[in-house]
Amino acid sequence: MLPMIRVRLPQKKKELEVPGPRRVMDILAQAGVRPTTVIVTQGKKLLTKDHRVEDGETIDVISVVSGG
Amino acid sequence: MKCKRCRRAEAAVDLPSHHAAFCPDCFFLFFQRQVKEGIRKFRLLSPSDRVLVCVSGGKDSLVLWDVLMEMGYETEGLYIDLGIEGYSERSKEKVLAYAAARGKTPIVVDLAKEGVPIPEASRGARIPECSVCGTVKRYFFNRVASEGKFTVVATGHNLDDEAARLLGNLLHWHRDHLSRQHPYLPDSGAGLVRKVKPLWRVSELETASYGFLKGIDYVTEECPMSEDATSLVYKEVLSLIEEQMPGTRTVFYQGFLDPGNPFRRAPETRPRASGESATDTEDPEGAGTPRACASCGAPAWADICSFCRLKERVQRRRERRPERAPG
Repeated sequence: MLPMIRVRLPQKKKELEVPGPRRVMDILAQAGVRPTTVIVTQGKKLLTKDHRVEDGETIDVISVVSGG
Repeated sequence: MKCKRCRRAEAAVDLPSHHAAFCPDCFFLFFQRQVKEGIRKFRLLSPSDRVLVCVSGGKDSLVLWDVLMEMGYETEGLYIDLGIEGYSERSKEKVLAYAAARGKTPIVVDLAKEGVPIPEASRGARIPECSVCGTVKRYFFNRVASEGKFTVVATGHNLDDEAARLLGNLLHWHRDHLSRQHPYLPDSGAGLVRKVKPLWRVSELETASYGFLKGIDYVTEECPMSEDATSLVYKEVLSLIEEQMPGTRTVFYQGFLDPGNPFRRAPETRPRASGESATDTEDPEGAGTPRACASCGAPAWADICSFCRLKERVQRRRERRPERAPG
């Protein structure tokens, strides 16, 4: 099986795979996530929305919205 | 994308609302300047203040504590254990770990020991969890600050929180709430300590980015009690608008704070000189100057303060229907 981009959404307890290379903003659109509501990280790096993610890489999408 | 400030390093944070993108070092500078400007604009803090920072374990409050310490303010953290199974333990752990790494020991209030853990208090009083939580937190923020001789209470409310609250208040024409919504709520001169929101100029995305880049380990899970919070609906609407028209949220809230806005009272006259008492029109919580609660002595706008009334209702229900022991 070909390697894909692994996208983890820990707060939603969800994970998906998308084919790369792909920009962060496009990955978010595919995942149905508003870009102003999350930060996207890769290890200790914070990624901008135009950052290109390659196949085989893993990114985390962390919601920044707090309620209450 | 290169950093728009230093033009050398790779950008880590892009901020369409500011037409900017920053590398970590330049972003720290940008963020701290935003907070400084927020403090300066309404004179929220002075160098001589003793600041009680209310920390929940989430990104905003821990970032606030971090920034204020970095700016040289004298601070202590206050953590309120809400008694929410699992979530409270994990939040507390984050707060204690953050504080320990900086040689601090936060003040901890345990609501179970105080007789009002949020889930039980909400059931007992038949009031939504978030309302009970607000009442209890406000009470302890003030009580701990008064007892500990703090001059000011600081909370981590950010631009998104305030813009969402503003939208809710406008949609329902809560004129009394509108008139009191401000990053600066003065002390009352009757035991009510000044409250400030130094992060009112920065967005949730900015505090989260700052926390992540600074290596602050905050709790990312949402409070399970806030799943149906109406503020989340307002935030969702505002984020949709923000994506189409970056910067709108800032214009919306900052325009509201404009001195010429007839929907609110003018806080630009604040802060008062030390020792000067508040006038009725500056009263942050309700009508007139508070008096002492007949039960606990805390500032109140009725004979008995809202916290004592809540506690009594919970106690009455407990006597009528003892909670079954877990397991």
